[in-house]
Amino acid sequence: MTDILSVRDLGVSAMIGGTPVPVIRGLSFDLPVGKILGLVGESGAGKSMVGRAIAQLLPPGFAISSGACLFEGADLVRMAAEARRALLGREIAFIPQSPQTALNPLLTVGQQFDEQLRHAGAASRRERRERALAMLAAVHLSDPEQLLRKYPHQLSGGMCQRVLIAMAFSSNPRLVVADEPTTALDVTIQVRILHLIAEMQQRFQTALIFITHDLRLASRICDEIMVMYAGSPVEIGPGRDVFSAPAHPYTRCLELADPATAHGQRALFLLPEQMPGLLALARMSGCHFAPRCPNVADACRNTRPVLTSVREGHSAACLRLSATSDITTAEVRAGSAVVSSEKPLLRVEGLSKRYAAMGGMFLGRSEVTAVRNVDFSIAENEFVALVGESGSGKSTIAKLLVGLEQPSSGRIVIDGRDAAGPSRQAHALRIATMQMIFQDPQSALNPRRRIASIVTQAMEAGSRHVSAEDRVQRTRELLVEVGMSPELATRYPPQLSGGQRQRVNIARALGARARLLIADEIVSGLDVSVQAQLLNLLFRLRAELGFAMLFISHDLSVVRYLCGRVLTMYRGEIVEQGKTVEVFANPQHPYTRTLLAAVPPADAAVAWTALDAAP
Amino acid sequence: MVATLLQLLARRLVVSIPILLLVCALLFAILRVLPVDIAAMSMPPTATIAEIEAKRREMGLDQPLPQQFLIWLEDAAHGRFGRSIQLRRDAGSLVADTLPATIELAVAAMVIATVLGLGGGLLLFHVRGTKLEIVGEVASTVLLSIPEFLWALFLLFIFGVALHLLPFTGRLPPEFVRPNVTGFLLLDTFLVWRPDMFWAAVKHMILPACALGLAFSPAIMRVLRSSLLDVYQEDFIAQLRLRGLSEGRILIGHALKNAILPTLTLMGVQFGFLFSGTLLVEVIYSYPGMGNLMVDAVRNADLPIIQAVGLTYCIVVLLITIVVDCLYLVLNPKLRAR
Amino acid sequence: MGTLNRCLRSGRVMVGLGMILIVLVCALFAPFLAPSDPNEQDLLSILLPPAWMAGGDSAFPLGTDSLGRDELSRLIYGARTAMTVAVVASLGAMAIGSILAHLAGYFGGVVDWIIGRVVDVWMSFPPVILSLILMVGLGTGLDKVILAIILVDWTRFCRVLRSEVLVVRQRDYVAAARLIGFSHWRTITREVFPATLPLLITLVSLEMGIAVVVEAILSFVGLGVGANQPAWGQMIADARQHIYDSAGGLFFPILAIFLAVTGFNLLGDGLRRTLDVRLINAREQ
Repeated sequence: MTDILSVRDLGVSAMIGGTPVPVIRGLSFDLPVGKILGLVGESGAGKSMVGRAIAQLLPPGFAISSGACLFEGADLVRMAAEARRALLGREIAFIPQSPQTALNPLLTVGQQFDEQLRHAGAASRRERRERALAMLAAVHLSDPEQLLRKYPHQLSGGMCQRVLIAMAFSSNPRLVVADEPTTALDVTIQVRILHLIAEMQQRFQTALIFITHDLRLASRICDEIMVMYAGSPVEIGPGRDVFSAPAHPYTRCLELADPATAHGQRALFLLPEQMPGLLALARMSGCHFAPRCPNVADACRNTRPVLTSVREGHSAACLRLSATSDITTAEVRAGSAVVSSEKPLLRVEGLSKRYAAMGGMFLGRSEVTAVRNVDFSIAENEFVALVGESGSGKSTIAKLLVGLEQPSSGRIVIDGRDAAGPSRQAHALRIATMQMIFQDPQSALNPRRRIASIVTQAMEAGSRHVSAEDRVQRTRELLVEVGMSPELATRYPPQLSGGQRQRVNIARALGARARLLIADEIVSGLDVSVQAQLLNLLFRLRAELGFAMLFISHDLSVVRYLCGRVLTMYRGEIVEQGKTVEVFANPQHPYTRTLLAAVPPADAAVAWTALDAAP
Repeated sequence: MVATLLQLLARRLVVSIPILLLVCALLFAILRVLPVDIAAMSMPPTATIAEIEAKRREMGLDQPLPQQFLIWLEDAAHGRFGRSIQLRRDAGSLVADTLPATIELAVAAMVIATVLGLGGGLLLFHVRGTKLEIVGEVASTVLLSIPEFLWALFLLFIFGVALHLLPFTGRLPPEFVRPNVTGFLLLDTFLVWRPDMFWAAVKHMILPACALGLAFSPAIMRVLRSSLLDVYQEDFIAQLRLRGLSEGRILIGHALKNAILPTLTLMGVQFGFLFSGTLLVEVIYSYPGMGNLMVDAVRNADLPIIQAVGLTYCIVVLLITIVVDCLYLVLNPKLRAR
Repeated sequence: MGTLNRCLRSGRVMVGLGMILIVLVCALFAPFLAPSDPNEQDLLSILLPPAWMAGGDSAFPLGTDSLGRDELSRLIYGARTAMTVAVVASLGAMAIGSILAHLAGYFGGVVDWIIGRVVDVWMSFPPVILSLILMVGLGTGLDKVILAIILVDWTRFCRVLRSEVLVVRQRDYVAAARLIGFSHWRTITREVFPATLPLLITLVSLEMGIAVVVEAILSFVGLGVGANQPAWGQMIADARQHIYDSAGGLFFPILAIFLAVTGFNLLGDGLRRTLDVRLINAREQ
């Protein structure tokens, strides 16, 4: 069996301040015909860079510093640019991460597909058209003829991705690189796209590199998985095994930090800090993971481990491999035993929101109902989850609750008092009780304010004058509370990491002494280890300060871990609600069932039926 | 698609009517503020007070303002702006005489601006990343600072006076008699088949058209370059490279298509400014268009001409805006009907 | 302050400031710099060329105009006219335009619609035409010129700033400020305005350049600051009448206008680059 791709000791470096700093080092793997290799790692691990290195399309300032990349025997690194370009789009194809921006918005699908096929060598226009139609049918898109005439903005994210998959496989490539192909899609679409990729791969017998941050996901479809940390491979082995019996401490920690694997009341593993930056890495001798490793020994700091075989076909780069399985977490997570009271803090009755739709050219008055007749309540100190996909209306509910939007009908009641409506008293009541933690920390923090000024922003609002010392004192309190060093108070938001910004976000809401936090997708987009830190933080804060939370998310594993009750939303309505444990064990509504089925099961032994099902 | 286009056109025209009315109101209001006695000005200096009063009643100046406005509107709609006090001709016909000259100049200038602008923009984009880029950027900022008024004077000074290369007064040398078929000189000389006159007319138009073209091309250069830079940041361009397409193909088949949209919109807006910029250039080159007419009228407080010309400029610019909006709709699939 | 340092290191900002400084110095110290009274006529010495050419007189370094007035003095005093108009008119247009832009962008709804329509109508008038007509209505004089420019150009400020205000308004931190309990006034001044300030500064600088040109145009046409005040536009008009005799008379005012306008444009361009984009990104690692 010949290898399609053979990577030997590949290294990529970036020019920072005039000196080359290694970004990827010592990358070696073989990819046989028709096999799927998973590249798994958190952000900054270098996994996306591998895909670009294969294509030789590195960003400016980045260059391949060493090693070889053999594609069917020919070295891509040393190849002439023209020859390499001839391979792309023909023998080597890519499936992108965000499907809707990956197509030119001003050209139709048909025009772009035609161009691609022309590049791939299909002769006549009729041939190209037939091939395009055939491929679109192969990816299970209905009415391919119509589709060719459509523009990308007229298609949904899932449909765009199918088109891109069709284009990728249309030239019958020998190698396909899929860079986080499902991350930008809704959960229920994700599983179908995954199925499609697996199906196409089987059909065309293409070698596939699957890049993702989700180890659990990768273990389900990849024949082999390579885990990357700080630019180097730390473990490589068969997909199932790497997940169920990880050899490297990092992989094990990653698994233990995943809420899906935390059964019952088990705590999440907390990896301290975060992956070191490029410059810090360059200065490090010894194992890159040493600063965070729970099994670290003195030898680890001096000697850089190489990949050592653990079993047949499974190796890891660690000096203390036998100690990996000792890593474990507490049986019961701290702060989870808080009992919420019976009295409801917030009650919502019959809440609805209708928008007048933009009816194109005509003065037609059509309406869109974003939220329809929603009822629920939240008690003191209770964590309630609101689950749904994009377009379900969950963000609208958040806006309605805090008053950023006014409801079309329905009541919002806080402590028995009316809190809906644009009146000043209602506004005052809302903001005295509730605070919102916004999803995008980039947009949620004013880049011109220092952190100190942001966390105590609530003190600026009142007419009472607040002394500078009081403000400094409170800043320190709040930052320590959310687990940040008070030295960070003088920094500006662009200088902080994503996780740190979310903590500032939370600190600000706490600074306003909120009794109910509305958290809109605050951990989506964060690395698993950072996510674990934030979830742990929320539990601890609740135990110390006491507050309720409406946790909006699409990630069911996080919801299961964090929230006692769950509300499922579909197309503006709440279709199911109840205790998380009960709903997840025994979902009543078909949509809830679909949602739950779309998540890869935590136990490797359990089959993932949704993946194997028909498209 | 044609149906939606017509619908949009109709809608924009309808929406423009209140705008036009308000513009008229503004024009009317400003000119009524004048400390000028309109009645007295339209009478010969020997008129008695009684005759002036009679004239005032005849012109409707003793009526309440809103009434006057309606009368004025009605007259304007019929093209009746009164007689020019100075030139003793009907203001409307004066405008009709000079409008083609201005349009001809504006179109010629726009052609020059487009060629220079698009060419320059591509060139600036081509040198990105090289040392020439800074030179190009500074040069375009400096060029952008020079208004058409200064360009007109520069060119007149250098090519007209110093080097004596090109004529800088009027549309034709004095010995020619202008043929008057359509009013568009270049077309007319063609229609009566006088190639010598045609070339003379062209030579006379070079300096004013170049002055305007040079003044408005830097903006086009800049917007084409920055649009191209923006497009190249987009995700799909990187994807096209990953799919193996050549840089040339990416530029021509994709990037230019996407960048031309904001460029065209700006060009449309620029044409509006260019059209009103003809005013000064005409004055400097003694070019017999609306601008010259306007400036003389303004110096002499000749109200009928001021009103007629002012309104004409506004209408033309409004029409240009409408056309640009429609063009944008046609070219941008995101705005078209599903 | 880091921003100030960055601004000072920008080539464009320094060159632009340098050019404007020359004009500003002339404007401020005109009585000390000009060799003669700019309005003093010497009818025996009309249309003299610059002193270094044949026929020139050293008492009139750059020559004289058609009424025998010293060109150099008129040039220097003209700077005073130009700068006065530039500064006052652009600040005035900025004040009106930015207040309305913030109100429109922040509150949206009816307020935005009304202000938007007013701006649309106002901008349907080509600026040159409108300023000419306004001058016919208002009469000549320095204050009238400034008023005319403010009345014409506030719309440009309003339109451009409104787009920016809309963008900032969408940011979550503005909503967060309201939720923390900030009043509308406080939200606008503490959260929105600091974000639009860089663009505002750039626009003011560019507007000053435009004001210089408009003043020159109005003076050229004869509807400017009046016969008693020296203005570059008027100098050009005069020189153009006597174009074969007075080449110098045409050249120097053109150069002066070019210097002022290019200076303001370079400054504005440089400020835009240093203040806007970098502010967000420069503080990142």
